Order: sequence, then structure tokens, then C-alpha cells
Amino acid sequence: MSNKNLFFKSGFVRAPLQNGVGRYVCQLQRIVFKFCKSSGGSRGLRDYIEQDLVQFAEQNPSVVVYLKPRRHRSPVAVAEYLNGSRVWMNFNQKTHSEILKWIENLRTQQDDVAATRLRKYQYTDHPSIQGPWTPFTFKDPELNVAELPNVKFGANNRLPKTATEELRLLFEKQKLEDVKTAE
Amino acid sequence: MSAAKRVQQWATFARTWHIFDCKWQDPYQSANIIKKYLMGLHKPIYHPMNDCGDVVVCINSREIALRGDDWRKRAYFHHTGYPGGASWTLAWELHNKDPTMIIKKAVYRAMKGNLQRRHTMERLFIYPGEEIPEDIKQNVSNQIRQLRLVPQRLDHIPEEEVQQYPKVMEYPPDYVLK
Repeated sequence: MSNKNLFFKSGFVRAPLQNGVGRYVCQLQRIVFKFCKSSGGSRGLRDYIEQDLVQFAEQNPSVVVYLKPRRHRSPVAVAEYLNGSRVWMNFNQKTHSEILKWIENLRTQQDDVAATRLRKYQYTDHPSIQGPWTPFTFKDPELNVAELPNVKFGANNRLPKTATEELRLLFEKQKLEDVKTAE
Repeated sequence: MSAAKRVQQWATFARTWHIFDCKWQDPYQSANIIKKYLMGLHKPIYHPMNDCGDVVVCINSREIALRGDDWRKRAYFHHTGYPGGASWTLAWELHNKDPTMIIKKAVYRAMKGNLQRRHTMERLFIYPGEEIPEDIKQNVSNQIRQLRLVPQRLDHIPEEEVQQYPKVMEYPPDYVLK
């Protein structure tokens, strides 16, 4: 996390009230397009209004669309959502196809997602089935009753057998076999 | 937070007390292991910003083993801050003065020098011998495995065990052992 993220709101990936599971409620409530009728910076937004806006309004009857012409100001879109949040987006010098994509983004997002730092890219209500880890998970139960310090728990048990130990075990095995043959 | 969740939190972040036997161990290699437990690096929940470090109790620090002729050659530097205040103490001298100092310095040096280091060091207890205060001993619930096998001296092995040990051959009775 760098310094610029210190004042950046953090959050998790969430859908309000399990939106989209079963039924989907469009979270975008109102969108206001502000543009200039004459300046070149608004060209892309004017093209969008001429060609696609009516279709957008028809396809999204739940979204209120306002157009606000204003002279010699840069074009913006302000989207308001069900949870009360408001997203302001600058459309100055943006082309028609860029604006098309950004409006699709405003329509489908549920909040100003870009303004939150996602702590994780996934979210679950049930992070673990077997339960969270504790210091006693996967511990040898013998430790519960052992008197520590104890050579049995303290000695390195990952070293390979020494040649001496190997020979001693061979000898023990041989002794057992001798006993068997004698019987 | 519900009662069950609260207890879950306590269980996950509970501090474990580990014991480590320094007998015949290289302090500089052991420090890398002790460090992991002190900082909580051995836990799956580790994060530098959560307080999950454990407590480590080191015993038998008097019986550490240095490599090569480190006892004679390794020098510990100290400067009082005054002109001419520099001093170099050899490892054997330092060990004679304070048998816990070498392991302490080794662990301190193994950790990165940040603000947390001194607080982490507070969780390290070192004792020169076997004896630990009772209040510390009753907290211990785990033992850290040593790096090296502790060699056993022949005169410390019981007489019968030595007698029963398999032999390739017997020395002749008139053989004079040097």
C-alpha cells in the first residue's frame, strides 16, 4: 500500500442485498448529461445524444435521464445511485465510442467502484468450512501432556540416519532373526 | 461481535510460548529459526501489521557451540560515544561476562532493523542454564526443534549400554590401548 492510498476509502467486493442472485435491480437511478451545443469538446457527447440516447432511455425505463445544455462548459455526466452516492464523470474531448463504453460502465456499476481500494478481489460470507486457524491446529496432541523441555520434541527429527545408527539397527534385526531360527 | 466470534479471535491470535534448547547449537543459525517464531512468520495468519509474534524461551545458552575458532576470532564491537571509546570484545570474553549475550545479539542481528525489532526482542527470554522461573515455565506449550543433534559423550552413556553395543571385534587381552 503506497502513500497515496492512505486516504483512499477501502472496501470489499459487495453486491447490495444479493443483487443479481434471482432478480436484478438496476442501481443507477438518474443520469444527467451536461454539454455545450457548440464547443468541440462536447462533440462526442452530442453524437451520443443524437444516435444512442433514445435507445438507452428506452432500454432502461428505471433510469431518469436529464439533458442539460450549457454554453461553453465542458461536457460531464453525473450518475446517481440507489444507495445515494453520486458519480461525476468528465466527458471532455471523449469520442462517441469511448462515451458509449463509459455510460455502460455507469449503468452497470452499483456505486463509485473506482473510488474504493479493494482490499481483496473476492468476498465470501463463509471464508472457511473447517474454521479459522488457531495455534493448536495440526499440533501433535502429545504436546498437551508432555513435560517441556523434552528431548523427544526438541531434537532434530529431519536428519538422515547416521551410518552408526544404520549398523546398529541391522545388528538388532539380525539378532531377532537369530532368535527366530533358533526356535 | 458475537461471543463465539470473540473467542475465535482470541484463539487465532493467542500467543504461544515456545522453548528452545541452545545446547550445542550454532547461535547464528538458530537465530534464524528463533526469529521466525518471535515475529510470527511460522503462522498462516502472518501479516507485518498484525501482532502475531510468539514468545520464545531459550535455555542452556551457556552451552552454545560456535563454528571453527570463532570463540577466539569473533569480536563484538562497542563504542561508548566518547573519543577513544571503541572496544572489541572477543566472543569467549563476552560469553564469560554474560552467557546470554551472544544468542541475544545473534537474534537481534537476524531481524531487520525497524521500529518493531526492539519490541519483538522483548518477547525473547534467555537463560544460561536449565532452570527457568516457574511462572514462565508453566506458559510453555511448544518446543522448537534444534538444528543439530546434540553429541553424547561416551562417559555419559550408561555402562550397560556401552557393554551391549555391537562390536566388530574384541581387542586381544594383551593389546595395550594408547
